[in-house]
Amino acid sequence: MDEPPEDVAVALVDARKTYQLGEPVHALDGVTIDVPRGSYTAVMGPSGSGKSTLMNLVGCLDTPTDGRVFVDGEDVGAMSDRERTRLRGEEVGFVFQTFNLMPRLTAVENVALPLVFQGVSREERHERAADILGRVGLGDRLEHAPNELSGGQRQRVAIARALVNDPAILLADEPTGNLDSETGANILDLFDELKAEGNTLVMVTHERDVAERADRIVHLLDGTVERVESVADQVGRQHEAQAGEEHDDAQTGEDGGEGA
Amino acid sequence: MKFGTTVTMAWRAIRAHKLRSTLTTLGVVIGVAAVLTFVILGASLQAGVIGDVSPDDRENVYGWAAPPDTNGGPGAGAQPVFTPRDLAAVENESAVEAAYGFQPVPTQTLSARNETVPRGSGVYATGPAYVDAEDVAEGRQFRPGEREAVLNPAAAALFEPNLTVGDEIEIQVPVVGSVNATVVGITADSESRSPFEGFNPSPRVYLPTDPYVTDVTQADRTRFSLVVFEATSQGEVETARDQALAYLNSSESDASGFGEEDLEFRLRTSLELLDQFQELFDVLQNFVVGVAGISLLVGSIGIANIMLVSVTERTREIGIMKAVGAQRRDILQLFIVEAMILGVVGAILGLALGLAAGFGAAELVGLEEFVIPWQWGAIAVVVGIAVGVLAGLYPAYNASKTDPIDALRYE
Repeated sequence: MDEPPEDVAVALVDARKTYQLGEPVHALDGVTIDVPRGSYTAVMGPSGSGKSTLMNLVGCLDTPTDGRVFVDGEDVGAMSDRERTRLRGEEVGFVFQTFNLMPRLTAVENVALPLVFQGVSREERHERAADILGRVGLGDRLEHAPNELSGGQRQRVAIARALVNDPAILLADEPTGNLDSETGANILDLFDELKAEGNTLVMVTHERDVAERADRIVHLLDGTVERVESVADQVGRQHEAQAGEEHDDAQTGEDGGEGA
Repeated sequence: MKFGTTVTMAWRAIRAHKLRSTLTTLGVVIGVAAVLTFVILGASLQAGVIGDVSPDDRENVYGWAAPPDTNGGPGAGAQPVFTPRDLAAVENESAVEAAYGFQPVPTQTLSARNETVPRGSGVYATGPAYVDAEDVAEGRQFRPGEREAVLNPAAAALFEPNLTVGDEIEIQVPVVGSVNATVVGITADSESRSPFEGFNPSPRVYLPTDPYVTDVTQADRTRFSLVVFEATSQGEVETARDQALAYLNSSESDASGFGEEDLEFRLRTSLELLDQFQELFDVLQNFVVGVAGISLLVGSIGIANIMLVSVTERTREIGIMKAVGAQRRDILQLFIVEAMILGVVGAILGLALGLAAGFGAAELVGLEEFVIPWQWGAIAVVVGIAVGVLAGLYPAYNASKTDPIDALRYE
């Protein structure tokens, strides 16, 4: 299997994840997806459909039992824990349902945290973090602790943190799940802006109206891609066609990835 | 991750739980302080005793006769058995430079220039060589047969203004009445001049045995219980002791034939006496350091425990850090540094507390010398820090191998 083309941020090629819980449980059972750079993908599916496992693989938190996962052109499964951690720090930005901010760090410090582990100097960290916080509309909340911020503001801090390394992919897990609808809508507007700026977004959600903000929706069921739905809007037909192919590959479950 | 950043983050984590961190460090503080306090006290005490054994004291042999089962320090159980004839005979031995008695003179008061101060002890009748010529800062040694005295500065300072060479002093001796002496010398310091005097600097007056002992006892009945033999040189001190012992045990000596009681002659060189003290101090010090060591052990368990709690409590934070690119090494470093800071802070506070407590204790006991054994201070601090690091290792290792997936889900 060849490496995915340059314009693909994340590619799963017949990725499988099996947990041994007495009997083997196939959390992912042969999933093949391409996430092109600059695209906006939503992942939907009922509980146990493999959403979290998919996110863990794409987020370099986990390795596939079988098949391959490419993030920014690098084969995650072939990496050591150390290399994976590096790739995660540099190329993946996480946004969580529960925000997952460090409670004792200020907003700007939270945003700067990924840079800390890359040995970026204090001044540069602060500068870059403050800059991004300004972009998400929190330029006046730099020194606030998470508990001094509203839910929407916290999620903005988390998004700023995810963006600070200029990652290949922004991975959002139910980003509006803990927010009221208005605040959630604001966050989704922010995602639209980020997409317009050329960021690659993958979002897990179980809310249909949230998922429809994306270019396409990948429906997972029992560890496989049930179907890929294209959201008809300005993004164009190209991805739709591509997604359709992938959909077919995933369905057959054989020799996946040829279509990519 | 830069080390400076690690320290900053660790320090903030510690500060976030002030009370907990304080209580945790307390174990190390107490351990280090305990070691230091007792070591300072011991060293100061030791310096008070051993510092008095000047190099010229090393040619001295201190002797007394006591029942064989007597235990105790120099002079314990001493019986008055040594006659002036014995001393003269010992002095004739080849390795012996001088042999003289040492007799505390019972006193009530000391008077000079119409001024009288009560003085119950500190007046000794002894040989001229007892106060070495080079130790006399002012004037000279006393001469045998003369009514002369050498004072130490503390004794001279009992009077206002200080007594000086040429002053007349009057010593009130119970039963006998008053005896006079002319001050002929003042010593350089007020330190104890031999183990027979005790250990602390205090006012002392030295007189020749002749005539002052003969004033107290009848000349022909004079018997000393404490004697000092000076060897011709430091190298000869063992020989001098052997020669003196051989003579004293022989039937020729008056001492051997004295009384019905079976007495044992105890002749100790000052180095032997020193060794005895040293042993005593060592035992004491080992004991105390052992106790303090237990305290440090308890302290380290405290740190380990709190670090384990801290790791569990911050599982989610560890997950976040790993998700945003923290390597295992970063997490390991963070928690070790945190434990180390607890150890370092504990050790430094312990050092300060130990110094203060050691100084206070030395003051309280009345030691004039205050000695800080810095090597022990260093050991205590290093151990305190090591305790922090060791106690932090396992929790930090636990933290570093936290799975970010589980950690992020952890509530």
